[in-house]
Amino acid sequence: MPVDIPKDKWPGEVRTVTLGAAAANGGTRGSVVAVGGEKALPFMHFETDTPHRPALAMEIMDRLPEDWSPLLLEFWGDTAKDPAVWAKAAEDAGADLIQLQLSQTGADGNPTTPDAAVAAVKSVLAATGLPLIIFGPGQADVDNELLVPVAEATKGERVVLGLCEDKNYRTIVAAALANDHLVTARTAMDVNLAKQLNILISDMGLPLERVLMDPTTGALGYGIEYGFSVMERLRLAALQGDAMTQLPMIVTVGYETWKTKESKVGQDVPGEWGNWLERAINWETMTAMTLVESGADIVVLRHPESMKRVRAAIDELMTVPE
Amino acid sequence: MADHLVRFDTAPAPVSVPTGTLLSDAAHRAGVDIQQPCGGQGRCGRCAVRITDGTVRRRSTLRLSNEDVEAGYALACQSVIEADVSITVPPQEKIERRLTTDRTAAEVQVPDSYDPAQVQTVRRVRLTVPPPSMDDQTDDWSRLQIALRKQVRLTEVGISVMQLRRLGHILRKGEWDITVILDSQAWDCPDCPVRLIEFKPGLMEDRDPLWGVAIDIGTTTVSLWLVDLISGEVRAQVAEYNGQIARGEDVISRIIYSSKGSGAEELRDLVLSTINGLLQSACKQVKIDPHDVFKATIAGNSTMIHLLLGIPAQTIRLSPFITAVNHIPTLTGRDVGLDTHPDATVDCLPGVASYVGADITAGVLSSGLDDTEKVTIFIDVGTNGEIVLGNKEWLVTVAASAGPAFEGGGVADGMRATRGAIEEIWVNGDTYDPSYRVVGSVKPRGICGSGLIALLAELFLAGVIDKGGNFNTNLDTPRVRIGEHGPEYVIAWASESGHGRDIRLSHVDVDNLLRTKAAIYAGFTILADSVGIPFEAVEQVLVGGSFGKYINVEKAIQLGLLPDLPWENFYFLGNTAIRGAYQALLDRHARERIKDIANRMTYIELSADNTFYEAFTSALFLPHTDLARFPTVQAALGAPIPQ
Amino acid sequence: MALSGIQIYKLLPQTNCKDCGFPTCLAFAMKLAAKQAELSACPHVSDEAQTQLAASARPPVRLVTLKANGNEVKAGNETVLFRHEKTFYHKPGLFARVRDDASDIGTTIAAADAYAVNYVGMDLTLDGFAVESTVDAAAFEAAIGAVRSASQRPLILISRDPAVMEAGLKALDGEAPLIYGADADNWQAMAGLAKQYGAALAVIADSLDGLAELAEQIAKTGVENLVLHPATESLSKGLALCTQIRRLALKKNFQPLGYPILAFPGHEDAGIESVRATQAITKYAGFIVLDHYAPEYVYPLLVLRENIYTDPQKPIQVQPGVYEINDPKPESPVMVTTNFSITYFSVANEVEGSGLPAWLLVTDAEGMSVLTAWAAGKFDAERIAKSVKQFELPDKVSKKVIVLPGHVAVLSGELEEELPDWEVRVGPREAVDIPSFMKQAL
Repeated sequence: MPVDIPKDKWPGEVRTVTLGAAAANGGTRGSVVAVGGEKALPFMHFETDTPHRPALAMEIMDRLPEDWSPLLLEFWGDTAKDPAVWAKAAEDAGADLIQLQLSQTGADGNPTTPDAAVAAVKSVLAATGLPLIIFGPGQADVDNELLVPVAEATKGERVVLGLCEDKNYRTIVAAALANDHLVTARTAMDVNLAKQLNILISDMGLPLERVLMDPTTGALGYGIEYGFSVMERLRLAALQGDAMTQLPMIVTVGYETWKTKESKVGQDVPGEWGNWLERAINWETMTAMTLVESGADIVVLRHPESMKRVRAAIDELMTVPE
Repeated sequence: MADHLVRFDTAPAPVSVPTGTLLSDAAHRAGVDIQQPCGGQGRCGRCAVRITDGTVRRRSTLRLSNEDVEAGYALACQSVIEADVSITVPPQEKIERRLTTDRTAAEVQVPDSYDPAQVQTVRRVRLTVPPPSMDDQTDDWSRLQIALRKQVRLTEVGISVMQLRRLGHILRKGEWDITVILDSQAWDCPDCPVRLIEFKPGLMEDRDPLWGVAIDIGTTTVSLWLVDLISGEVRAQVAEYNGQIARGEDVISRIIYSSKGSGAEELRDLVLSTINGLLQSACKQVKIDPHDVFKATIAGNSTMIHLLLGIPAQTIRLSPFITAVNHIPTLTGRDVGLDTHPDATVDCLPGVASYVGADITAGVLSSGLDDTEKVTIFIDVGTNGEIVLGNKEWLVTVAASAGPAFEGGGVADGMRATRGAIEEIWVNGDTYDPSYRVVGSVKPRGICGSGLIALLAELFLAGVIDKGGNFNTNLDTPRVRIGEHGPEYVIAWASESGHGRDIRLSHVDVDNLLRTKAAIYAGFTILADSVGIPFEAVEQVLVGGSFGKYINVEKAIQLGLLPDLPWENFYFLGNTAIRGAYQALLDRHARERIKDIANRMTYIELSADNTFYEAFTSALFLPHTDLARFPTVQAALGAPIPQ
Repeated sequence: MALSGIQIYKLLPQTNCKDCGFPTCLAFAMKLAAKQAELSACPHVSDEAQTQLAASARPPVRLVTLKANGNEVKAGNETVLFRHEKTFYHKPGLFARVRDDASDIGTTIAAADAYAVNYVGMDLTLDGFAVESTVDAAAFEAAIGAVRSASQRPLILISRDPAVMEAGLKALDGEAPLIYGADADNWQAMAGLAKQYGAALAVIADSLDGLAELAEQIAKTGVENLVLHPATESLSKGLALCTQIRRLALKKNFQPLGYPILAFPGHEDAGIESVRATQAITKYAGFIVLDHYAPEYVYPLLVLRENIYTDPQKPIQVQPGVYEINDPKPESPVMVTTNFSITYFSVANEVEGSGLPAWLLVTDAEGMSVLTAWAAGKFDAERIAKSVKQFELPDKVSKKVIVLPGHVAVLSGELEEELPDWEVRVGPREAVDIPSFMKQAL
């Protein structure tokens, strides 16, 4: 019985966003990463080609993150004491991108200075040829204080500056505009909020080809269903032609999952949770996969084993069936 | 427990209260009036007093600055007496009466071919009663009943004991000629019960007026029309603030107030005194006695009607949001406490649900929404934003709790549309300076709803605030500055204002206004979605309520408050609730129609699922997250319309 | 096709008689459209309308129920491709597979059967077991007996040999298992068995064309409870086929493929199996057979299934409880808010952004924001005090300062009475003002 396969034809498509600039384009990156460009729902190869595979970023910090899960600290060991060394190790572990998280305070407990932030970023740029995503510590005034000099010091590299939020986006967008960078726009699990922030950023004159959106996803067991549905809705809206949602999506899976008790804690937890390390890897991998299925374009991870598994799964998903 | 002496500068003597007494309760005991527009919730800051001696424990100092607190100010409703204190009560803001009568006394057309004999429930009959004699010792009441039966063919007439007390006297005074005022819901049915309201000695002229009143009890304003039931003409229109305002600005605050102590009685007394005051002044205008008013038809939201009748209103605000009664039986002036004739018919019109009351059913009637082929939106924006969508075939309704922001509440320098209120405003796109018009052409003291709508739209178009309502603090103007609650815009400098303080719109105010407009617009979307009607299919938008009298459609669309439909599709109807009450007062068929409307209107409960939050957050943007919904605003902003 | 509320309304008597228990015919029609009411509630509906409405109500994906000993697993009756459009109704059944040549089946199954993990107050478990024949009829029968002695949950029986399958079915009594399965060669015999034993039947084919043809042929023999097993050897092929099947059923009302899907994510590498099972849960499987079921694999899958199948129409809520922000100490203040997610996020973000430590007490306000919950009586002093005790705050803090949202300043007095040894403070009305409040006032 010949079955007439229903194929969706969408009027819209996701913008292609290129991270990093090689020497020819005013940067120093050995590789650049293009994401987005989808003209259909994820991996619907029977409808149209998928121009870019979801990219994987490894999250590192500018100093040893003592509050991370012991499993991660144990894995990275001394590597994590130097962001340049760490970045190189992340590249060796198969990352397409490096996400550098700046900390609020240095190892001495004093607030991170702009100079220190710039030095950390520069050392990472020197150590790896991968494109860079740089997140401030997450407090509006500190983010602005650190990210502006970082943006200036890395002019032309097309790094991604984060995070733009609805109450704090002007300074970061202006820094990206002035220094040929990209931004990431984070909103709290809501289609409308995501769209609103994209509009506000676009209204400042930053081309949407330089914006990634992070709809906040939650982790498995901690709200992932909202992230999953918000992302499906954003992608559907983009394909239906809503210009303000046609942006690639970045998801910070490592951050979301490694703070859950399941991943962070190995003692005094229920026996039904099983082996700690394998559980934690599953938590990160399955959260990542769920979001890849709903349209994630950049997945930020913390553990190389998760990255290995997610990469293998994406390889399989990108294979066009006969 | 220790007692403490509390001295108020405005009270003749101190009062003694136990530890832990609220300052506002102490004031009440001392007979000191302190306004509490938010109902004592610590939200509005209007009950601030100054402690001149001793201390109180301040639970909350919201709305007070640090300097205020240092200067001794405290919120009466949030401060606890724990020692002897002396208190200075600042002069209480007197609600200046808006000249509602003059501004709204619209020409009211008596409905075409109004024929009281066919449609009026109250009528007057003239009877000549055969006098008694030694041969005919029938009692007076039977004698009158026989006359009613023989002369006007009425068999089932009821009478109150009060009228029985006067009957003999009146019959004899008129020498057995008597004019009787009767009420029947169905004059075409001789066996149906008829109620005797009043009789007068002698035979009155058929054309003499017979008085009735139509009343709309709004949360904010009470309106009353005095109507001659014979000619159908409105002979006086009066309006006044609802006396309950001082005990809470919105229905939730009132319900909560009514559930505490003697709150319910107090609120009932307050609204009755407002209504009776209006009755008095309307009757004075045509020089009649309020006792000559024989019928009152009352519209009002469900909470107002419950509070008027002393019916507990608590369940209205608690899930699953149930009224005690939607269809209220016919009552009398005496039952309700009106200063009309004690046996006057009092007809409270029926509501649909907790937040869709008789003001809306009456409004639907007077707007003609239930009788049109056209798909129509009817919105009544008072403190509660009720919206009805439908046509003669179907009707759906929601209540979007808009809040009082467009009535001047919830905004620091907001005020009602009284003297001194900025009612229209323009902001220069280059200098960011405003020009404005003030009610009463005096120095401004604040800004009212229409002014706020205009201001928000103007600030948006001038680029002072972005689409998210965030201030652009990099503009070259001193008017945008960082205030106590973050960024703000100075509308009038202290030197230009009527009270010597800057008049500002703060970031918090903008957020409040955005929420209000988003709630209303979300109401439209929910209704349209609930029946699967696209917005473009809406053929007319009828706007009722005092809101509708002043607002500028263009500005309201620019904000995303009203849907972006052609301007010629908007109609402003003013107070539709009282018009509906007026129609029902005159015409029993209109009254039947309201009942039918109440029965067939389908109420959509917004809290049932999260579709409201969806619609709400997408409307929480200027003009809307979905820009394609507002093509004319897009065009005005000069941006391309996204596909 | 599903009808809208107005379309259904036009088929109803429009008398607003309230006999159905709803205030108006339109209200009833909307409930029917939302599948929250049954047409039978209206005693006055015409036969013609009944026929039309029944046609629109037929589920595009058939509901298949596996039963055993009072336990049931249901799949199907799904109405949407994306959960946000409505909801996904029936969680896919998770089945653990054993082969009949395995040693000590009873012990393995007993452990898996007993496995229960608590997630937000619910005990999550596997739904049943799949027994696969690798030897012969006798071994199959013995294995099924061993499974049955260790578990009463529904079963999936796996063998392409009708004789072996019949031996297996005979070992079960009065159950409705799923039998796997019918292919182009054996389908007649398998269909006969399904009919005779009241089993649901899995249909196996390499292509959608083959699957549809086989399913239709089998349906013609009167076997209604079918389950589809498309060829899903790679993630991309599985995703494409499962999506196509769901689309055909929902959008084209294509009955030959209007059945639940069976997925075998099993892989020798448990990590890969988890990834495949993740896709099966998110993308349309109705029954999932697992080969690895150690807790560290099963627990996250059970949680994912729970998450994906929650009803997205309910207000977005966060779990009530005490949230630790910026590593609070016993002397840190307690901030109170409701469990409406947007409220929670804005408050939590601001507290976090302040850089100051605090305990954030999230009360169960049924997913309403602060003002809405207060207005509806779901956020009052009594409830807040109850949460303080329930979440054992007195054991966590030493200073006992509790901060109310400014919008409910009115509750401060009552809360003082409820929590006599606490200092009750009123915070700002807007979340944005929290950092300055915390810096200045706390």
